[in-house]
Order: sequence, then C-alpha cells, then structure tokens
Amino acid sequence: MSAKCRCDGNALGARAFIALQICICATPVFLITHESLAADNNRGAQLAATCAACHRLDGRDNGIPSIIGLDEGKLAGALQAFKSGERSIMHTVALSLSSEEIATVVHYLAAQRKETERP
Amino acid sequence: MNCWTRREFGCIAGATCLTALTPRAVTGQAKARIVVIGGGVGGATVAKYLAMSTATVDVTLIEPKQHYTTCFFSSLYLAGLRSFESLIHGYEGLAQRYGISIVHDSATIIDPVAKTVGLESGARLPYDRLVVAPGIAFKYGAIEGYDEAATQTLPHAWTAGPQTMLLRQQLESMEDGGVFVLVAPPNPFRCPPGPYERASLVAYYFKQYKPRAKILILDAKDNFFGQELFQDAWSRHYPGMIEWLPAQFTGGIKAVDVKGRSVKTAGDTFRAAVANVIPPQMAGQLAQDAGLADQSGWCPIDPMTFESKLQPGIHVVGDAASAGEMSKSAFASNSQAKVCAFAIAASLTGSERFPPHLFNACFTIVAPDDAMSSAIGYQAATGAIKISDFFLSKVGEDAETRRRLVREADGWYAAFTEDVFG
Repeated sequence: MSAKCRCDGNALGARAFIALQICICATPVFLITHESLAADNNRGAQLAATCAACHRLDGRDNGIPSIIGLDEGKLAGALQAFKSGERSIMHTVALSLSSEEIATVVHYLAAQRKETERP
Repeated sequence: MNCWTRREFGCIAGATCLTALTPRAVTGQAKARIVVIGGGVGGATVAKYLAMSTATVDVTLIEPKQHYTTCFFSSLYLAGLRSFESLIHGYEGLAQRYGISIVHDSATIIDPVAKTVGLESGARLPYDRLVVAPGIAFKYGAIEGYDEAATQTLPHAWTAGPQTMLLRQQLESMEDGGVFVLVAPPNPFRCPPGPYERASLVAYYFKQYKPRAKILILDAKDNFFGQELFQDAWSRHYPGMIEWLPAQFTGGIKAVDVKGRSVKTAGDTFRAAVANVIPPQMAGQLAQDAGLADQSGWCPIDPMTFESKLQPGIHVVGDAASAGEMSKSAFASNSQAKVCAFAIAASLTGSERFPPHLFNACFTIVAPDDAMSSAIGYQAATGAIKISDFFLSKVGEDAETRRRLVREADGWYAAFTEDVFG
C-alpha cells in the first residue's frame, strides 16, 4: 500500500468494503448501496478532520481528550449536549453539525482504534 | 490494507469477481499531479489531506525552508515559557507517511496556461492542480523608514524564526526601566489577538526580570480583538506596566527612525529601548506576482473550493486568501486547507462534495496560569463566508477555568501541529 493511503483506512470501512465486493459479485444492485456507504465513510472522515484540529485521532490525550473508539451513542449525546449547552468552543463546533452529520462523525470516530490497539 | 478510489471501484464493479481485488497499480490510472506552493500551515495541511484522500494523486510540496517555525505560541518563547526548538516542525512525516514529495526550493513563477511552476533552481514542475499558500508579506514603506533592512534593528517577529530570536535577544539585553514599544498593525492581519498576547507575555517576562520596564502599544486601530479581556488581564497581572494608545489618540503610526530606535506618530515621537514593529500586511509576494491578489492585496476565492476568482484552476488557502469574514490564523488556514483538499479530491474522483465546515478557534495565553479561548463558526452557503456563531471567554471567569484553558492550549498545540505535519 502506498504511504498515502490512510484514506478509508478504518477497520470498519475496510470490512464493509470487502463485504460489499462479495455482494457485488452476486448482484450489481448493491453497487448503489456501496456508493452510498463509501460516501458516508468519506463524509465521516471529512467531518472528523475538523475534530483533528484540536483532538489527536491516535488516542493520545495531551490536555484535550481523545474522542476515538468511544461508544457511539455517548459521543452523539455529548455533541448534542454541547449543542444545547453553554457557549464554548465545542458549542460552536456542535452548532455547525446537523443531526445527520453528528451521527456520521460519531460513527466514524467510534470505529477508530487507538494507535496501541491497531494491528 | 489497500486503498481504493471510487473510480477504481466502478471499474472493478463492472468486471468479474476475479479482478475485484486488482490493486491500484495494475489499473494503470494516471495520477493527478498536485503541486502545493508553501509549507506553512495551509500548504502542509492541503498537501497532507490530498495525499490521504481517495483521489489518485502525486503531491509535491514546494517550500524553501527545511523546517517550519510556528508564529503561534512564539510569544511563549519570548516569555521564556517554551523553547525555541518546540516551535520547529519538519516535513519528514509528510514525506514518509503520506508519500508527499518535498521540494526545498522557491517558486518564482506560475504559468497557468502551460500549467507549470518555475523554481529558483531553474526547474519547472508541471501540475494538474495547483494550490498556492504563500502566507503574508509585509507592506514595507507603509510606515516611512520601515523597510526590510529595518527589521534587523526593529524586528517584526511576525513570521517566526530568526526574527523571533532577535526580538528575544533584544528583550534580554534591555536594561530594566526601558520602554518596549509594540506597533500593532491595521486590519486585516495575521492572528488578531497575537500582538496583545505578545504584550501580555513580554510583560510576564518583564515582571520577573525587569520589573521597572514599561510596554507601550502603538496601535494602527481604535479597538482590537478581545480588548476587554486583555485589559482586564493586564490590570490583574501587570498593573501599570502596559499602556495601549489607539490610532484616534496618536493620529496613527507614520514613521520609524531606525538609528534612533523611535516610532513617530502624527503628533509624537516615542523612543524605545526595544521596538517590535508589526507592519501592515498583504498576501505573499508570489500571489501578487501571479495575479491572484486584487487591489486589497489579498486573494479572492470561491468559499466552497478555495479556487481563485482571478485565476481559475489555481486554489489559494491560508492567510493570503480573502475569505470573507474569516480571520487570518493558523487554525483558519488549516480549516480552509481541508475544505480545499476535499473539494479537489471530489472533483478528481467525481464523488460528492459535502458542505464545507469552516472554523477558527484560538487559545490565548496571558500568563502561565491564565488563558482565554475563542471560536468562530462560518457558513458559506450564500457564496460568501459569513460568521454563523461566535464565542469568546468572558471577563471574570474563575481561576480554575483560566488554568484549564492553559492546559488545553498546550494540548491544542500538540494536536494541531500533529494534524498539520504529523
């Protein structure tokens, strides 16, 4: 793999991709499903890029908490709480996210593994 | 693990199961040549995120310096609270982890018709997509007598490196009781709270080592970002040490006398023991030469893609961009660079381009145990970048909150520089 291919390098994306390739062999109609899933994965990564400006995405916590590998529901709840909570940096960030975007980004972040847990 | 582009996926899906695991190299798909000029925060970020994208690209980053020294947090070095080395970041990670070609040379000319970038060495690099991130240049001459040579006596220290070290040396050599004059620039300029954070942190240094010293801020403006918070902090930490004179009081900064180490306003001459003159700014020289900047001196862009409005096919990110209501800062440059990278990747792969998320956030340290924070959200749906939400710390926040923000600032610096260069 080329050094630059960290793109869809999350385990979930890779598993989903392989599974979908198998599906495509059976029936091309799943292509549409995969296109949608790939787009969702991409979108999750893009939204998470905003988080990466403050939160390390390798699991290390150096003054600002790690946000990867957490429970999806709890993370979504935290973002919703920031959204309706008092003014802060995270309030501003959460306000910019639609409910759909929150679901997408927490799904992506929850699937990330800490550097120490990666194969 | 393999990485697959959507285009390759289409190819695979139309073939048989036997070819479904064909790796990228066998498909023979031509790589798009991406050239990024400028290895600061904007340029490095756009290079990294394009190299990480699903697009099939060869990314080349052109930057004359071997390392990047962050201007953000450099006032902590002036205060003795951070080492100079801690501000320096190399390009090895971008080369080794993401396969980005780093060319240590200066881009001298852009030929948008032939799609080439000319380098000082004489080489020409062809490109399919070009991103220009030249940062700021100083308007030498806007303050009479303040030219490039003057920076060796009256440093601006607003691009970090030797200038920052020079200012630190001057502050160390200054006798107790001297006056440190800080000339603050007119809007727009890089890092709106920066000059006032610098005044705060130099005051912290003086408080320990030169307690009779004074700081005089001669401002080209009549107000500044976070003014109430800074003035509150100055009264709590450094009472009587910092004086701020707005343009309406002085009539504006007119000239400097380099030999006499003084700054002239409309009505007065202020003699300094050390003077830090931060001059008016514009987009970096290459942007001016390449016709990317308009009469304002900055580069108008499409906020959805950061493609130049003046030179189609060339993107501009970072401080050089005229990005509506967006501040000029490292954080903003990083945010813009991601939007630009995702837009270029989407156009190369033919995939969906999602709505951009543009932010600026800032931690400002005014004493080792006291910081403030701010955040600005932007929306660009109308074709212009407008502020959608604004947050700034409040005067009177409790001591623990201010201490916590210092810890978060340290964590932010580590995470942010990792995001850009790691």
